[in-house]
Amino acid sequence: MSSIELVTITVDGVEVQVPKGLGLVESAAMAGIEIPVFCYEPRIGPPIGACRMCLVEVEGMPKLQAGCTLTAQDGMAVLTAQASEKAADGQESTLEFILVNHPLDCPVCDKGGECPLQDLTFRYGPGNTRMNFPKRTFDKPIPISPLIALDRERCILCYRCTRFSGEVAEDGQLVAKNRGAQSVIATFEDEPYRGQFTGNVIELCPVGALTSTPYRFEGRPWEIQNVPSVCGMCPVGCNISATTREGKVRRVVSRNHPEVDEGWLCDKGRFAFGHLQAADRIVDPLRRGQPRYEELSWDDAVDEAERILRGAEGRIVTALSGSETVELAYALGKLMRQGLGSHCAVLPEQIDDAYDAYRAPLSTIRDSSLVVVLGDEPVAERAPIVDLWIKAAQRNGAEIVRQSEPDDELARRLREAGRAVLVSSGGDGTRLAAAGKLDRDGCATFALPTTANGRGVADAWAAAADEEPENPEPIGLLIVSGDEAAADPNVRVMAERAESVLAIGMFRRLLTPWADLILPGTSYLERDGTYVNLEGRLQRLRRAAIPPALDELAMLSRLAARFDVELSPHPSLVFEEVSAIAYGGIPFGAVGEQAELRGRVPRSGVSSPASEERVSDTRRVSEGQGLRLVTYRPLFSGPAVERVPELHFQRPAAEVEVSRDDGQRLGIANGQTVTVRSNGTSVELRARLTREIPAGVARIAAEHAAGLEGHVEVTG
Amino acid sequence: MAELTVLRDAAERDLTKLGEYRATGGYQQLEKARGMAPEELIETISNAKLRGRGGAGFAMGRKMSLVPPADKRSGPAYVVSNADESEPGAFKDREIMRRTPHRFIEGCLIAAHGIQSKNVFIYIRGEYLTEFEVLSQAVEEARGAGVFGDTDVVVHRGAGAYICGEESALLDSLEGKRGQPRPRPPFPPVTGLYAGPTLVNNVQTLASVPAILELGVARYVQIGVEAAPGTVVYSLSGNVNRPGNYELPLGTTLRQLIFDHGHGVAEGRGLKAIIPGGSSVPVFTPDQLDVPLDFDAVQAAGSFLGSAAVIVVDDRACMVQLGLRAEKFYMHESCGKCTPCREGTRWLVQLLERIERGHGTQGDLDLLRNVCDRILGKSLCALGDFAVYCVASYVDKFYDEFQSHIDQGGCPFGGESSIEGVLAPSDMHTHSPMASPVPA
Repeated sequence: MSSIELVTITVDGVEVQVPKGLGLVESAAMAGIEIPVFCYEPRIGPPIGACRMCLVEVEGMPKLQAGCTLTAQDGMAVLTAQASEKAADGQESTLEFILVNHPLDCPVCDKGGECPLQDLTFRYGPGNTRMNFPKRTFDKPIPISPLIALDRERCILCYRCTRFSGEVAEDGQLVAKNRGAQSVIATFEDEPYRGQFTGNVIELCPVGALTSTPYRFEGRPWEIQNVPSVCGMCPVGCNISATTREGKVRRVVSRNHPEVDEGWLCDKGRFAFGHLQAADRIVDPLRRGQPRYEELSWDDAVDEAERILRGAEGRIVTALSGSETVELAYALGKLMRQGLGSHCAVLPEQIDDAYDAYRAPLSTIRDSSLVVVLGDEPVAERAPIVDLWIKAAQRNGAEIVRQSEPDDELARRLREAGRAVLVSSGGDGTRLAAAGKLDRDGCATFALPTTANGRGVADAWAAAADEEPENPEPIGLLIVSGDEAAADPNVRVMAERAESVLAIGMFRRLLTPWADLILPGTSYLERDGTYVNLEGRLQRLRRAAIPPALDELAMLSRLAARFDVELSPHPSLVFEEVSAIAYGGIPFGAVGEQAELRGRVPRSGVSSPASEERVSDTRRVSEGQGLRLVTYRPLFSGPAVERVPELHFQRPAAEVEVSRDDGQRLGIANGQTVTVRSNGTSVELRARLTREIPAGVARIAAEHAAGLEGHVEVTG
Repeated sequence: MAELTVLRDAAERDLTKLGEYRATGGYQQLEKARGMAPEELIETISNAKLRGRGGAGFAMGRKMSLVPPADKRSGPAYVVSNADESEPGAFKDREIMRRTPHRFIEGCLIAAHGIQSKNVFIYIRGEYLTEFEVLSQAVEEARGAGVFGDTDVVVHRGAGAYICGEESALLDSLEGKRGQPRPRPPFPPVTGLYAGPTLVNNVQTLASVPAILELGVARYVQIGVEAAPGTVVYSLSGNVNRPGNYELPLGTTLRQLIFDHGHGVAEGRGLKAIIPGGSSVPVFTPDQLDVPLDFDAVQAAGSFLGSAAVIVVDDRACMVQLGLRAEKFYMHESCGKCTPCREGTRWLVQLLERIERGHGTQGDLDLLRNVCDRILGKSLCALGDFAVYCVASYVDKFYDEFQSHIDQGGCPFGGESSIEGVLAPSDMHTHSPMASPVPA
């Protein structure tokens, strides 16, 4: 990187040195002076100078200038509204023009109290109105999707939402239509705004034009609390604030961590909190009886759990979800392994430690020159925000290469690229990362886990004891921890074989009628503790809402006492134990609200045998007839999403994705209904031709691929 | 008759035909230009002091020299001709494209050589269907005859938005986006079409280029005035006996244009006002008839030559009605991107309508003038300024007329017929009905 040239400018007479070309809004901020804005938002692309709120006077220029589009040049003298009458008049004019048609329905507007238009009007606006005509009206509110309501009368046409849609999410679904004073925001042909990231436009909107339908009229800013926490819906670990009122989570908004999420959230993270209030939420311990489950008191439940645990005589398998906190997974591990000598666990996934040698913030992707996506799983379905980082890299000129399997050519390109990033999405990237020498500065490798805290759960389970597990046969007791494990078909198969099943979960429909004893589970929004995200960053969860039942850690602590295992009910104390073993003794408090990424762990001379084995096994390249089937778990799926009706429109369409080349070869047109066959099973799906997957592959969301496996034949 | 440059021979011959155009020496200047080094060509155009005929009067040679030369840029450069002539009162480019398309194309190709561009785009107003057909045929004929060499010319039709005559909105529209102005800097010569260096020039400007090479700089600068040599096609309209396009040297006075060429005010009525450069510019009063129509002189007199569209207003006209009609046009054509223009034009229409109907108060009149000031100089592109120059000047110069609307509680002129023939109503400029800001 070349050194940054500094220039000296004055803002309201204050001299300040700033990098040449820095925008005036930032430059003034460096001098401690505010230039107010509406449309300006550097995260959504270049400034457009539309709202005219940032007008400033610049010496030598006859007209007022937009501070957002102008950049600092040496010797520039800027006068903001605070020092220039002309600029103040400009800003007041802008506000007057915005307000001539903006409805003053602030008392019933969800944005009221946290509204930039209110705030800036208060500080810079005219005190009264000179407009005495009827205001412009439009039909409202317009549901642009089941999640978002659009009030076109409140809209000030800052184009933040359309720019986000066009230039960040790149879905191009939100547009402005008509012209002049009749301009409105719209979706094409009034189709619902669909996509992984739609909810971000609610937060970007500087007025109450785009509001969250689930949050509409749910709270006023002075009666809510924002609890800083971390999303538990995928391995990215976006930083969030959970808005609560009367003890309930009402809304989830972003809490910008510039290295992790840049202030964006996916719609699952933003809207799935409704699962806390699911109708089948378990609030009391349940024991399977005849003819139905009976509710137990907590004392009885602990007695019953102790009885089942002792009855298994150590032949216990613990199936984990990957959504447990580090503390909870450790507590389970300590009880099972130290208390009961049962070391066998079904971990949601095993992320190779070798990736720790290439650890870097996710924001590294944006600044890279080459991004290799290895594997066939769609990134946006697994770790949505990673997809936004890749899109940002592409807009910055990076080359994006998508490939199913690693090869030497790819390794060479990674080695030779200036700043290369490997994203392994269902592929094994360890050998490629090593061959590509991605431990260089500015480079990185990310493996995308399938669960939010799969890495932390594996760390914690390993930290609980050293003994090697032995598979019990038959299984005396299967412990199912969490709803994702309960929904896993493999776990259900084990449950069939187990003599008894003890489950901890939130949703009754998932656990009945097959679990013998059910203990109420909690959501990530109800827990204190830590998660490890896909970067390897330890992040702090905070309890936003009180769970309807005793939380898992408290319950496990009581149970552990029966087996003479010392286990604190407090996450901070449990973390101290885990941290001493797995995280270098970092104290709980140091994890902080905006967690830093731990340093890289250099690769040791010899990598673990397990990873060697997998590296040599170039997976599934076996030749077969037709296209190789790739199924994936869609982002909008799983126990939480199923319990939020507003999100159902986001579930994947019944589609099969094939490459454009294959489509042409097979004579299939985009949107055509096709038959997908394998092993005597056939499914009718709509074909989608895409450049995002390589030739030879047919990709289908798991929920639409029932019965299909191996290679499939696609016919029109 | 003064020397014609742009429309030369167009009255005598059918210059839409390549053969006819060649018979008058057509495309020889292109050959000459291609024999020149690009820098030399730019210098020639600079020395001829050719100023843009689209409205702003920016020196074409200087604009060309702002385009980085071929060895200092990484991608292609573009020539874009702005043929989206939409200012009420302006119809000169239409005449040029219809009657001498090859001269215009020749100018485009010469400019392309000057900035070493291989791509010429002509963005033509969507409503100009006949002109599009004539121009397209001429392009095809010239291409077929091998005139283009390795340069290509694409004619692209606009879709009916005045704003796309603003060069940066034009570029966005040409790129397939919603036509809205871009913030500047950067300016098109540096970052224009597809973010490449782009020379954007008006039809007439480009059509003037062959004459510079043909006559030579020394002779060319003898035409017109010293700071702005050459001719301009003045579009004369309104209450005048002989409206039409008149190609005359820059610096022709209003009196010469209206009385000598246009044979005076229609029906022998008195002259009330003159709009010298298209409906957007500040109005002149009859005592300004001797202002020479060149960029600097008109500006010194308080208005703009703009697109040299001269509109004659006779003594029947109500200036409130005229302001309302003009403002309705700018409200309808405001693109909606920036706040002052989008909201302010609508507010002005509401105020003007109220005053015209006789419901206005003294406060409304003060507000009208103040809203003009609040829009002026604060919008993203010039449309906001255009939308208030006119109305503000009507208020300033015909204040008594506005005042009598307030005092008498109605329009002293009565009826919309008073501005018949001056400006067409804005719903004639559009394909779709416009939403009125004031309930009928």
